[in-house]
Amino acid sequence: MEIFRHIGALALGRVHDAAGVWRIIGGAVASPLVKFRKGRRVFWDVLLRQVYFTGLEAVPIISWIALILGFIVVAQALSILPKLGGASLVGEILVWVVVREAGPVFAAVIVIARSGTAIAAELGSMKINNELTALELMGIDPVYYLVVPRVLGTAVSVFVLTFYFEAVSILGGFLLAGFGGSVTFYAYSSSILDAMGLVEASVSILKSVLFGLIIGAVCSYQGLQAERSITQIPQKTTRAVIRSLTSVFFLDAVITSIFYM
Amino acid sequence: MSTLIELRDVSERGEDGRMVFDGVSLELRGGERVFLTAPPGSGKGLLLRWMAGISMPEKGTVCVFGKDTARLSAGVLNAMRCRMGLLVLNNVLISNLKVIENCALPLLYHTEMPYKEAMEKAGGLLSRSGFTGDPWELPGPLPMYVKKQVAIARALALDPEVVICENMGEGLTEADKEHLFGLLLGWHGGAPSRLLLATSAEAADAALINPGRRLRIAGAGIAEAH
Repeated sequence: MEIFRHIGALALGRVHDAAGVWRIIGGAVASPLVKFRKGRRVFWDVLLRQVYFTGLEAVPIISWIALILGFIVVAQALSILPKLGGASLVGEILVWVVVREAGPVFAAVIVIARSGTAIAAELGSMKINNELTALELMGIDPVYYLVVPRVLGTAVSVFVLTFYFEAVSILGGFLLAGFGGSVTFYAYSSSILDAMGLVEASVSILKSVLFGLIIGAVCSYQGLQAERSITQIPQKTTRAVIRSLTSVFFLDAVITSIFYM
Repeated sequence: MSTLIELRDVSERGEDGRMVFDGVSLELRGGERVFLTAPPGSGKGLLLRWMAGISMPEKGTVCVFGKDTARLSAGVLNAMRCRMGLLVLNNVLISNLKVIENCALPLLYHTEMPYKEAMEKAGGLLSRSGFTGDPWELPGPLPMYVKKQVAIARALALDPEVVICENMGEGLTEADKEHLFGLLLGWHGGAPSRLLLATSAEAADAALINPGRRLRIAGAGIAEAH
């Protein structure tokens, strides 16, 4: 009996957390429209800072990983395809791997590692230090001021980083394919353009925006769950990372099965 | 002098079941300087949270600027707090904002004042509070006294009608206390529209604001002290 009670409590906890995350996402999408005038200057300030830290500062690490991934995918493809007479498919394989899957997922994972942890730890620390109450005492809505710009800033950053990742990855593959001499630049670029359709681009946009919203909301929610002690901050940060990763991979599987199966 | 804060027959039971407040009524008017003394754990913080609209009593009503806080929406409560300078809950500063940004935050959030003008006003408030450090540093490492100076400057940014300060003198030297309470007395200036409510565990701190009324929490009620 005890085990059922435990499982039930666990399931209810997860449902409660999921509801909290979706409330944050709903609020984040609606807030800039509903509260367009109130506090918009400080709202934009926090949002731009979030884009700077999450997006711009992640460019070097994203560049390296994207370049290496493009290089690896093309190297693997070139080790097999010429034997099968399909060397010209290398660009298509790169699009299938990078644009459909790796771009949004890698950008999301890097943002979780760099910024998701920072969001959860910062909000947790602010909550424990009573800074959220201090904002309320100034007549400032802490969710609108702290959470909404972080969620939207993360979504914008993941969206931009995903397309940057895909572009650099294709460039990395292009360099190897071209200079390796196995495929001509013309054949490579033609196969990429052939494989890149409206569906690939749209699904990539959908994934990146949803991943960004989910990461921002999950990490903010977990940060705000810290209540009593400073030791809760690393616990909530770890949970934010695990829950964000799980949500991103689950959502990725759902979107992929809807659009590509 | 109009009534700015009014408690009507408020009651609250503590976690241990004892009555913290039992049928308390209190009226605070514009122009008053009120000093409230009570030992730690007697419900002083709770009283201030009711006045700030952060929490509500189990029974009774709390009216601020003539409105029952329990009936106000979050937006109206926030608008109400803009008319108050609340130096409660350890006067916490926002850790990821610089000192001057902390001070300018209410101006930038609640008003249409241009950024440059808001920063200049914040700088002026900091100077008047006696702050002599670097306004572009983060507040984390600042000493407690300096944090309180910045908190006062921030609380006065929107030119409030009511200032409530909780344990402002705690942990400070007599000279530092005198300076900080002097800032609040300077703001009040005997204006008939302004209310200053200061609380402390030490009755001797009353002399620092020269109060017109002295209150103390006794038992589960609030009594006038003479």
